[in-house]
Amino acid sequence: MQPILTVDLTTSETGQYIVPDGWERSFLGGASLAARLLYESITPDLDPFSPEAPLLFLNGPLSGTAGPAVGRFVVCGKSPATGLWAESNCGGFWGPELRFAGYDGLWITGASQKSVYLWINDRQVDFRRAGRLQGMDTYRTQEAVRQEVDAPRARVAVIGPAGEKRVSFAGIFCDHGRTAGRTGLGAVMGSKNLKAVAVRGTNKIPLSDRETFAALRRTANRELLSDTVAGVARALGTAGVAEYADYMGGMPKKYYSQGSFEGVSNVSGAAMSETILTGVKACHGCVIACGRVVELEDGQPRKGPEYETIVGFGPNLLIDDLAEVTLLGEMCDRYGLDAISSSNIIGLAYKLFEDGILTEKDTDGVKLSWGQPQPARRLLEMMAAREGLGDLMAEGSLRFAQHFGVGEEAVQVNGLETAYHDPRGTSGMALSYATSPRGACHNKSDYFLVDWGQADADLGMEFYDKHAGIEKVGNIVRHQNFRSLCDALVLCLFSNVSFDVLVNMINAAMGLQNSLEDYLRVGERAWNLKRAINNRLGLSRENDRLPKAFLKPFQDGNAAGYVPPFQEMLSVYYEARAWDPVTGRPTRKKLIELGLEEIADDLWGVEENSI
Amino acid sequence: MSAVFPSPEWLNALSDKLNSDKKYAQIAKKWEGDLLFFIQPDDRLTETLYYYLDLWHGTCRKVEVQSKLSEEKPAFILKAPYGNFRKILLGELDPMQAMMTRKLQVEGSMAYMMRNVPVVLDFVRCAREATTETY
Repeated sequence: MQPILTVDLTTSETGQYIVPDGWERSFLGGASLAARLLYESITPDLDPFSPEAPLLFLNGPLSGTAGPAVGRFVVCGKSPATGLWAESNCGGFWGPELRFAGYDGLWITGASQKSVYLWINDRQVDFRRAGRLQGMDTYRTQEAVRQEVDAPRARVAVIGPAGEKRVSFAGIFCDHGRTAGRTGLGAVMGSKNLKAVAVRGTNKIPLSDRETFAALRRTANRELLSDTVAGVARALGTAGVAEYADYMGGMPKKYYSQGSFEGVSNVSGAAMSETILTGVKACHGCVIACGRVVELEDGQPRKGPEYETIVGFGPNLLIDDLAEVTLLGEMCDRYGLDAISSSNIIGLAYKLFEDGILTEKDTDGVKLSWGQPQPARRLLEMMAAREGLGDLMAEGSLRFAQHFGVGEEAVQVNGLETAYHDPRGTSGMALSYATSPRGACHNKSDYFLVDWGQADADLGMEFYDKHAGIEKVGNIVRHQNFRSLCDALVLCLFSNVSFDVLVNMINAAMGLQNSLEDYLRVGERAWNLKRAINNRLGLSRENDRLPKAFLKPFQDGNAAGYVPPFQEMLSVYYEARAWDPVTGRPTRKKLIELGLEEIADDLWGVEENSI
Repeated sequence: MSAVFPSPEWLNALSDKLNSDKKYAQIAKKWEGDLLFFIQPDDRLTETLYYYLDLWHGTCRKVEVQSKLSEEKPAFILKAPYGNFRKILLGELDPMQAMMTRKLQVEGSMAYMMRNVPVVLDFVRCAREATTETY
């Protein structure tokens, strides 16, 4: 692989880091390799906002190769939201552009005295003053930087005002609203006074066997063009699944308290395609093009909302106006806020207001009424600016709820707000949320898709009922391992291509001769490594939990009366993972089996013999 | 009535089933769109088969065994090798699983399909009940 560009913002020094060959083979790239690279530096006493805190942008071995939805990169570090391992991947064009510039990653440490941005032009690196960009939104910042470096084709990853203000769920943005939204890495970037990273590259990406890879790439993209899942994403965007999610009982409403809402079909991907859709946007080389372009009354082209934004600012707040949802999503993008966490916290505020825990005195006179978008707009402004109640909300739902003595009302796991796939609708999400390495994440295993039908026999998976319990735990483990592999490749979750093609593509790109099982082992290795990082940061079995809301059945909707048998599933999960039931750590035996001897010694002690 | 899949008798049996099933009539009462089974040959089937159904408001108005793809494209085409159709109709493969794991391709309006998943699933139930066995 190509070197990683290292940048110390304190000293303005740059360098190159060459990844050891053994690590490249063991972890491939992306978030998996990042976990190994950052293992030593993400320590319990590390303040995520300190200059010592790392911020690592990393590609995967397929990134930028125009393969099947492989235009993504990942950002990793320590999360200010959770205090745990942080990773968040992002589409668009920035990651491939960095590879074209000759680097597979960008490893940032230190902090600048004044606001700066980086300009990476092929392998030349320049530090530029960013004072005039401060407070500027994410779209305007990208454009301003492109103009300043006089490179219209440069790709720019930026933070918005929320990142500058260290909002704990601020993200890093590029292109047309593409977002590394989760875990607050935009706030880490803000703490380093780094407003943007512009990149332009003109080189070819190295591939071990270019000819073989090219043939496989054609096959893979042909598969994607005929795939029904990709077809739904192409036609309707990620929100295309809204009606189906609702039908399966997995779409929460009114801050996870309600199972049905008549307005769902007014704010779905289908509704968007029938009303305001004017075009589509694709990430680098992607044949799916799930990004939406919409026009509202003002005729301006805007980003159309994804599934999470649609539910978060729609049914979550009992809003069924697609134009309003679009504008709320755009506010998040412009301020540089994660739309999932933002809408989740706003939903919590609406609930606390309804419960009388928050009053108009707290909200600066704003009445938080379900179905009303105006209060949500105001709260977004207040959070991004850390103004009034927004300053509390900017700390995330858990700390916000704890401030009012109702921490259990926050629908989150380990400080990360849950997405909008409810485990009462699809039980597999119970373990997905509770055991994800970054808090309540729906992507480390998007098991709702498996519960809907994406139980792929070619991956060794069986199809269980959406409300099955312990019988599906083995499936979940296997799916997490597979998605962990995808995170090493930084592969889009819509890349629904056959596994033999995928395996052969990795082999051709990297010069390897591995099997699918070998690569699933890579995924398992990374899953356990991230667990070990979190264990070292203090995470234990007590952290593998679900928020109260998920353990109370819906009274209505298509999943009424059901709660997942979470504790039973968790116990079987621990057995399947070979994790110690007392400490919650991977056992020494498991770590050694995965080739992680040094991690085993660190976690269990060199002299420790217990398995 | 049920019949062996694939056969003209099966197609007629499916039509009869759709026109007599009260649950389907209710669920599909707003459905408007014709459909084609595009059955691809595999190790058990030597030729491509095209089975056409005109589905309208919870009824089946017409069925037809076609010799080739009609120039007038139906609203939906369900395309898969014979073996995958067989597994679906025998209840060995869930239809959503088939669609989501590259075993069954769907062509047509995705917006209409996603708004009408319950109709699609109940159509499959009827097709299964119209199937006694397969080749």
